[in-house]
Amino acid sequence: MQDHVQTKRDRSRRWFDSGFSITCLLIASLVVVILVCLISGILWQGAPWLRPSFLWNAHHENQPNESGIGQAIIGSGMVCLICGMFALPIGIGTAIFLEEFRPRNRWLKWFHNLVQLNISNLAGVPSIVYGILGVTAFVYMFGVFGKIQTDRPSDYEIGIHYMYQIKTIGGDYVTFPCEDKFQTLYSVDRPLMVTNAKGETFELNVLPKGASRPSDDGLRSRSVFAGKNASITSQKEFYHMQLPFHKSALAAGLTLALVILPIVIIASQEALRAVPNSLREAAFGMGATRWQVVRGTVIPSATPGIMTGAILAMSRAIGEAAPVLAVMGGVLSSTLGLTNLMDSTPTLPVTIYRWAQDDNRAFEGLSAAAIIVLLLFLLVMNSAAVLIRYRAEKNKG
Amino acid sequence: MAEAQLKKAYDGQWIPSYRLKSAVASQRWQGFVVAMLIVCSTITLATTVGIIVMLVTNSIGFFSSDKVELSKFLTDTQWTLGQSQGEIHYGILPLLSGTFRITAIAMLIAIPFGLITAVYLSEYASRRTRSILKPALEILAGVPTVVLGYVAIVFITPYFLQSLDDGFKAFNAASAGIAVGVLCLPLVTSLAEDALQAVPKTLREGALGLGSTKFETTMKVVLPAALSGIVSAFLLALARAIGETMVVALAAGSSPTFSLDPRLQSQTMTGYIVNTFQSDTVVPGSIAYHSVYAVAVVLFLITLMLTLLGQWVRRRYQEVYQ
Amino acid sequence: MSTIESAGSPVSRVRKIMPSRNIADEPNAHAPMGVEGAAGRGPEKMNDEGLQPAIEIENFDAFYGDYQALHRVTLRIPERRVTAFIGPSGCGKSTLLRWINRMNDVVATARAEGKLRVGDIDVLSRSTNVVDLRRNVGIVFQKPTPFPKSIYDNVAYGPRLHFKINAAELDNLVEWSLKKAALWDEVKNRLHQSAHGLSGGQQQRLCIARAIAVGPKILLMDEPCSALDPASTARVEDLIFELREQFTIVIVTHNMHQAARVSDRTAFFYQGHIVEEGVTDQVFTKPKQKQTEDYVTGKFG
Repeated sequence: MQDHVQTKRDRSRRWFDSGFSITCLLIASLVVVILVCLISGILWQGAPWLRPSFLWNAHHENQPNESGIGQAIIGSGMVCLICGMFALPIGIGTAIFLEEFRPRNRWLKWFHNLVQLNISNLAGVPSIVYGILGVTAFVYMFGVFGKIQTDRPSDYEIGIHYMYQIKTIGGDYVTFPCEDKFQTLYSVDRPLMVTNAKGETFELNVLPKGASRPSDDGLRSRSVFAGKNASITSQKEFYHMQLPFHKSALAAGLTLALVILPIVIIASQEALRAVPNSLREAAFGMGATRWQVVRGTVIPSATPGIMTGAILAMSRAIGEAAPVLAVMGGVLSSTLGLTNLMDSTPTLPVTIYRWAQDDNRAFEGLSAAAIIVLLLFLLVMNSAAVLIRYRAEKNKG
Repeated sequence: MAEAQLKKAYDGQWIPSYRLKSAVASQRWQGFVVAMLIVCSTITLATTVGIIVMLVTNSIGFFSSDKVELSKFLTDTQWTLGQSQGEIHYGILPLLSGTFRITAIAMLIAIPFGLITAVYLSEYASRRTRSILKPALEILAGVPTVVLGYVAIVFITPYFLQSLDDGFKAFNAASAGIAVGVLCLPLVTSLAEDALQAVPKTLREGALGLGSTKFETTMKVVLPAALSGIVSAFLLALARAIGETMVVALAAGSSPTFSLDPRLQSQTMTGYIVNTFQSDTVVPGSIAYHSVYAVAVVLFLITLMLTLLGQWVRRRYQEVYQ
Repeated sequence: MSTIESAGSPVSRVRKIMPSRNIADEPNAHAPMGVEGAAGRGPEKMNDEGLQPAIEIENFDAFYGDYQALHRVTLRIPERRVTAFIGPSGCGKSTLLRWINRMNDVVATARAEGKLRVGDIDVLSRSTNVVDLRRNVGIVFQKPTPFPKSIYDNVAYGPRLHFKINAAELDNLVEWSLKKAALWDEVKNRLHQSAHGLSGGQQQRLCIARAIAVGPKILLMDEPCSALDPASTARVEDLIFELREQFTIVIVTHNMHQAARVSDRTAFFYQGHIVEEGVTDQVFTKPKQKQTEDYVTGKFG
């Protein structure tokens, strides 16, 4: 038997080993330090601004005390809803096709491989490129529906009524129907049937230029001077739609759907792959068709996994700013709020971005407060995902 | 079927027989479903085709303009599109240099810290430290990038960088780079950890059994075995950093500079794109509008190549142990 | 109910009281898939070579890609008997079993040539309706594979797939299947609980109940007991022996004692060929081929 001799070299090796592991631990715990600093810094900046009115007020230029994220929350909700309605069914459908329907037909096989290859590449495309795609394909639709511009009425639209509006001498606004929506101004030179704000219809009294103002109040509110311009206005129904989509919530939602589509597909594919093959074989052995196997056996087993993936994808969508910024521009508020899918709307991340850039430093604090709200939303969504995963694991074990 | 009938059925050699559902109907329904699924799958292809068609046609629109030459685009060291007045310069080099500065700083942070964290998690961490570090990494990975951009301008620049050196501008490459580095760190960690976990246990046991310390095992056996996976993690993180938009739009400023100085404003390719679309002054059809697509082509090609390279490297290492 | 419960009787008793029934007398019974010639032959006449085959296999070749797994296999599997496929790993016995109800369709590279008939169905024909085939030929796998649903829903899965059936009929059918699989007494009070709560042996019997609920004529079993403990194995073996009264059973097994216990006929596979086939007793006690003898006496395998 030979005694174990601990040489000097051995000892230094030991020392080095434990030293390395401690260094590793210190560096690894940096992640926790960063996270704590980040969250406490944001809380410190934002907490003073977190008041109930902050949650429902709209943005007001240069009035930080009056500003809030009411419209942004509704906007984010709407955009994410649209995004989820498109991305989730399409993404899950694609994943099912890729995982469960491996074709034997040569052309379909080729198509199958192409789609699979394509998805892993799409996942690496920066989100701003999707933003550009959104601008080109949804906002302007490649110019297919007329020249590329946003300030002109579309040729293809529903749920919108155009009319001209003119201010009478008395200061009231009256409206009259519009025949050509592309003519933005209409010069009044002859009497017309008009409607005022009270809903009364009467003939407009057109006075020649240079005539003296009528003294009677009632007459004044029904008169204009000849040659005065009426400007076009429009009234939109909640179902208002137009092609191209212009800078709208719908375009933003669709763009976000493209951004998260690869994430949904990859997560769903993993969930489907985790379903044991023996279950599929058992269902096939019972004489189920492939689709019956998928619907009755595979999808129920994969649902927790798919839902977790869907939630994570949606939390990516809710925090995504770049594509939304490209598609809708940096909108901070809209006068009427979100009344239909063709309206542009602020979202939470865009609001955070614009406020952080604002020259008025008070908006930095507001921005942090908005971040807190956004992070809380994300926390709730992620907890739901964790809960689903936990319950699924418990059911399995 | 009454109880008595059931009894009789069981007693005898009864076999379940009922009216059958139509097998043809379920086959047809399946055909319809498959057709729908194929339509779904086509959308991903359409996205790619859309991106390529859009980039090609619109950048042709840019380069076919009388005022634009390809050679100047590639060599001019000034970029003034998107600025107010003056002579028009459209050399991509300043934007590239902005992207390069920020990406380099980001990688200087993300690669060493991410890799060491991955090594620690995979080789050393006890269950308890893991249960703290893993969720922390997941949370950090889930933080929206606009939040990190906020942190960069509100905290990193004034409280950290400007206290180090007065030369740091309010918007600079360094703060954006640090924030992007933090953003890429969880990505590097999780991909590198996957690669390390894929190294068979027998390899580690073999090295330890020969008397290596854990450090030596990690450095001389595990890391080389996982090398291609780790390299692929770096490449994917690099692609992510180059494509990152919100952090640079907030923290790096809006004037492109052709320089290596991290204290200067440095607009990147992504920053230019987002600033252009955000402003109301750029009219569709103008040179500035088309220039976005020319920049996007460069951005798209770089990230696509990095992604493809990363996947190729990863596929090679997966083959080794499967 | 007493007649129903007698189903749970042990094998020894079943062997003794096994009735020699004329199927044509049974009003509810389906005509066997072949001609009526099989009628009147009791299961106890196990060495009868004139039995009507339920499955006919002739010159059957099976491939996985370029690899040929089966070479010119010819075999007639009699109805209402238990036929065991034995042989060392990779000899092709599972491949043949999985071809009988085209489970190999799932494997992209698998293909087969030759004649394979189940009753009047030409299995390999492109025009064969696989759904119909699998309804007639049930399969039970090595690992118990209950669906992650309730016990009731597991058994009701097949009937819901294939039958126009109302709720009351379905209740009765589930009860019938579970009784037939000797599981009813153990689960009747928890039909709507998850099937994953059952023990391995119970799960396997549930899979058998699920398979017979659609009224197959043939049951394929791919090493049904290899994942079970000895006690559960004994129960499943008892069950197989009882089911033989009504179903044609083909069982793949690694366990020669199991083959000897449960089967009427045995086919010995080696390297993709059927070396020997015959009445189980004869194959095990007086094998005609040297290879068979070596295998059953444990010289290799």
